[in-house]
Amino acid sequence: MITMPSGHKLRNRDMTAAWRHVDVTLLALVAATTIFGSIMVFSATRHSDSPYTFITKHVIYVIVGVAVMAVAAALDYQKLRDWSRLIYVGSVAALGAVLIPGVGSVHKNIRAWFDVGPFQIQPAEFAKIATIVTVASYLGSVLDRVGFREMFVSLVLLGLPMGLILLQPDLGTTLVFVVVGVGLMVVGGIPARYLIVLLLLGLGGVVGILKSNTLDQYQKDRLTSFVTPEKASEKAIYNTRQAQLAIASGSLTGKGLFDGPQTKGGFVPEQQTDFIFTVPGEELGFLGSGLLVVLLGGIVYRIWRTAQLARDPVGRLMCVGVLCMIVFHVFENVGMNLGIMPVTGIPLPFVSYGGSSTITTFAAMGLVMNVHMRRFA
Amino acid sequence: MAESDSSAPRLAMIGIVCVSLFASLLVRLWYLQMIDTSSQQLLANGVNLRVVHTEGTRGRILDRNGKVLVDNRISIVVEIDRTRIKANSAVQRTNEFDDLAQVLTSFKFPTKGPVIQDRYDDKRYGPLELVPIQSDVTADVELYLAEHAERFPGVVVRRVAVRTYPYGKLAAHIVGYVGQINDKELANKEEQLGRANDPSRPKTDREHRTYAGGDEIGKSGVEATYESDLRGVPSDKTIQVDARGDYVRTVTEASPAGGDDVWLSIDIDLQALAEQRLGDRLSGLRNTVGKDGRPLNAPQGSVVILDPQNGSIMAMASFPTYDPSQLVNGIDSQLWDRLNDKSAGQPLFNWALQGTYAPGSTFKLFSGTAGLESGFLGTGSNVYQDGGSYKVTNCKGGKCEFRNSGGNRYGQVDISRALTVSSDVFFYWIGDQLWQGRDRFGEDAIQKVAATYGLGTATGVALPGEGDGRLPTPAMRREQNQKNPKAFPNSNWYAGDNLNTSIGQGDVLVTPLQLADAYATFANGGTRYQPLIVSKVTRPKDLGLDPRDPDNYELVRTEDPKVVGNVTYTGDHYQRLLTGLQGVVTNGSGTANSAWAANRTAWPMAGKTGTAQVNGKADTSVFVAFGPSPAAEPPKYAISVIIPESGFGADVSAPLAFGIMKDVSNNTVPATVSDADRARWDTAVAKALATAAANPTTTTTTVPPTVPGDTAPGQLPTSTVDPALTAPPAVDPTRTSLPR
Repeated sequence: MITMPSGHKLRNRDMTAAWRHVDVTLLALVAATTIFGSIMVFSATRHSDSPYTFITKHVIYVIVGVAVMAVAAALDYQKLRDWSRLIYVGSVAALGAVLIPGVGSVHKNIRAWFDVGPFQIQPAEFAKIATIVTVASYLGSVLDRVGFREMFVSLVLLGLPMGLILLQPDLGTTLVFVVVGVGLMVVGGIPARYLIVLLLLGLGGVVGILKSNTLDQYQKDRLTSFVTPEKASEKAIYNTRQAQLAIASGSLTGKGLFDGPQTKGGFVPEQQTDFIFTVPGEELGFLGSGLLVVLLGGIVYRIWRTAQLARDPVGRLMCVGVLCMIVFHVFENVGMNLGIMPVTGIPLPFVSYGGSSTITTFAAMGLVMNVHMRRFA
Repeated sequence: MAESDSSAPRLAMIGIVCVSLFASLLVRLWYLQMIDTSSQQLLANGVNLRVVHTEGTRGRILDRNGKVLVDNRISIVVEIDRTRIKANSAVQRTNEFDDLAQVLTSFKFPTKGPVIQDRYDDKRYGPLELVPIQSDVTADVELYLAEHAERFPGVVVRRVAVRTYPYGKLAAHIVGYVGQINDKELANKEEQLGRANDPSRPKTDREHRTYAGGDEIGKSGVEATYESDLRGVPSDKTIQVDARGDYVRTVTEASPAGGDDVWLSIDIDLQALAEQRLGDRLSGLRNTVGKDGRPLNAPQGSVVILDPQNGSIMAMASFPTYDPSQLVNGIDSQLWDRLNDKSAGQPLFNWALQGTYAPGSTFKLFSGTAGLESGFLGTGSNVYQDGGSYKVTNCKGGKCEFRNSGGNRYGQVDISRALTVSSDVFFYWIGDQLWQGRDRFGEDAIQKVAATYGLGTATGVALPGEGDGRLPTPAMRREQNQKNPKAFPNSNWYAGDNLNTSIGQGDVLVTPLQLADAYATFANGGTRYQPLIVSKVTRPKDLGLDPRDPDNYELVRTEDPKVVGNVTYTGDHYQRLLTGLQGVVTNGSGTANSAWAANRTAWPMAGKTGTAQVNGKADTSVFVAFGPSPAAEPPKYAISVIIPESGFGADVSAPLAFGIMKDVSNNTVPATVSDADRARWDTAVAKALATAAANPTTTTTTVPPTVPGDTAPGQLPTSTVDPALTAPPAVDPTRTSLPR
């Protein structure tokens, strides 16, 4: 019997072919950075009576993250584009639900978590991915010239989750949306003149917010302690001082892994999350912490390269969104550890302890690999 | 793809931004770590030192055979450190407490915000003490609170070693309990150690176990008296802080070391037997009516067993008792009241050394010794015609005639016979004649001899709260009258007082421990040892190893027997007294003969019953003895039993003592099983049964598995020990055979 090659079979071959184009370099960089990060988390948390509690949970988060990454890479991103409305509506609904007292739980004055057993899920983290997919799908699918209408729709798509997150109020995550939005609109083709007007409006808005009572005092403290250290609260100063002291004491080669006095003494606050960078800074010195920055830079380069290689604007914009998200996280987090950025609760991708952010980061990597794998399709 | 024309340069632009951001991070990192030395200088210039205090684990308490009576386990406790949140507003604190209550409740440790608030306000905790909120929480709670530390600024979660009691309530009064050091104890310790932050003294030597707020300290029993041995060596880590008080670096670091193990002289098996028999006897007596129609309340009682050859206490039971594990995480006021409730017999009291009772006729050994050694009884052969009553010489008013109890007449009695039948008249005669001849004998001839037996002053045993008892003398009465004429209007000592004293009535009071030690002194021929509760102190090499093996510990010191007095006997006086005391048990007319007859397999002993009268209450039942006697070997046991409001000594205390000594005599003291051993045993049985069930060819003659230690299962079913007290395994003997 003669069988004609069916379209079905061809698609199947395409599916398997896609895996042959996986970005091995990116995969290797992600693996190296994650292992590096896990050792740092262990170093930061092992000086308690139950030294393996945090690292065990962290490894579980990474395993879940890798699974999510695989799924995000496997589904053709064209399908994701088709589903983007559903994804968007779902994530906005979750952001709305978390604001309801009794549904969302409050930690550190922010109502941002769903408590699920011993775990907390932060819908804002997943909303980042959802919004990137949605705005990228929208802007990338515009057939005509991108103009005012497209900019307006994009702003609405970005503004809705941002507004809900600002209500929690989580300033750091809101800023991630700002950066991601700017990147998507720049590469998405919004005319330069509109962008300049937006920039001016944004600056005015920031000044207005600082003058008004929208932000809690501690958030203002954190932001202003960067500009005017003498006015900042004791706590805000303490955090950054301890972080900088730890990093400065590292010098070229550091105090040795697991041997940092500040780390061992537990004197850097929230070291396993916001201030994780102080661990390589103190224990591994410039060589170790510089290597971490270079590894993260390598990941960013591969994302940027994937954006260049993408077969269509939707894929390119997805990569740009992820790129902006990762870059902002790295720069803000490492920057605040080094004292050149204000303190906001932004985790360091691939390194910081934390379930939602780890899984989100891996999901974002899955998205980039997805685009890379299907660049010839 | 309308934007394609502009997207490439714009993407390149974003690339340039990224490169510059990463470059600036690297430059800043290089600057901080390699160029800017101000931070390093800050680290070097900080000169303020602070000390971070960590406690060492307490040593264990073992019985004389190395069975662990008090051990440690880890408990995760949630506490409030007031110093951290005292500056917060009341509203902030209330919010924190409500939040904490909600979290604890969600982890199945139900509490309420106001409850935490009450603890926080509780004045029993000093300002530096940590206020316990919830003990024995799970690791989930610890992790949650650690992850959300910012929400709970006042909350401290610590993993602390707390006391655990493998033998439950057994020997609770002896081992005592521990608690958080209070501010007063802390001040005392600081003063004792003379260390007001003296940095020149080494912080880790064992003589220098410093205390800090929140530390644990022994509050009673051996925990208190051997505090300096049991307490671990705390580590004081010195850290450097800058002018702002922020951490800079660690200067010195030291690991805490465990405390030393303390070995009691107690044999836990004998202790268990004594406690169980005493408890059973008291429960049986309560709410019954005595021969004289008075209610027998038997509110409390004690049994003391010691080794006459060296003063070692082998068992010391006090009833009612308490569960020291209830006191592990602090005592709430309700429990405290219950443990000190007079109507419940004050369970926290160790009646064996804190209780003082009229000794009754057991005192006759001492007045008899006085009669003999003063020379009044001649060579000892002097006799008196006991016609049932005694008339005081030259009596001018008041009570002049003193009668035997029960109105008995014993005829012609000498000292031996008088002890055997417990003739009051004979000892009245001694008391009267010594008083009438006080110019020759001295006005306190009896008391002086009794004092050489150790009466009237605390024995000095290494346990807190011991009573002195009372040995009233004419001088004491005069002194009391001079000091406080209103309370003591009578300054004169009369012949009648001497008569009462000679039979252990009047104002004479002894503790059960004093009485046992006094008879032990007689038993060994007159050497009075200070009672010993601890035999040695050791430093374990590894807590995981069997403490019984001498290879597993270093000996710190032994507590050697200490001679604190002597009683001398001239001529055949000792033999006459001994014959009398032996007759009490072995002679058909002896007061304890029936008690021995009921326990015929027990060794014969030499001893004395006592039935002390107490105003308005039923009699105190007293028995004290030593044995085996007569025997070829010197006596190895002295036992005293005192039970107030329970009737005659011959009816209650003597049978109880013989009941205990019967098992000692026959070497049938049941092995007491600790909770841990029982659990191991149960596991072993379950395993054996499972193996047998999985292997049907095995026949019914499965050999019961043996348990590590000395609890051979074959012995267990013979145990007669009350399960509630000693927790032996509830073993059905048929369980060791296979079900068909």
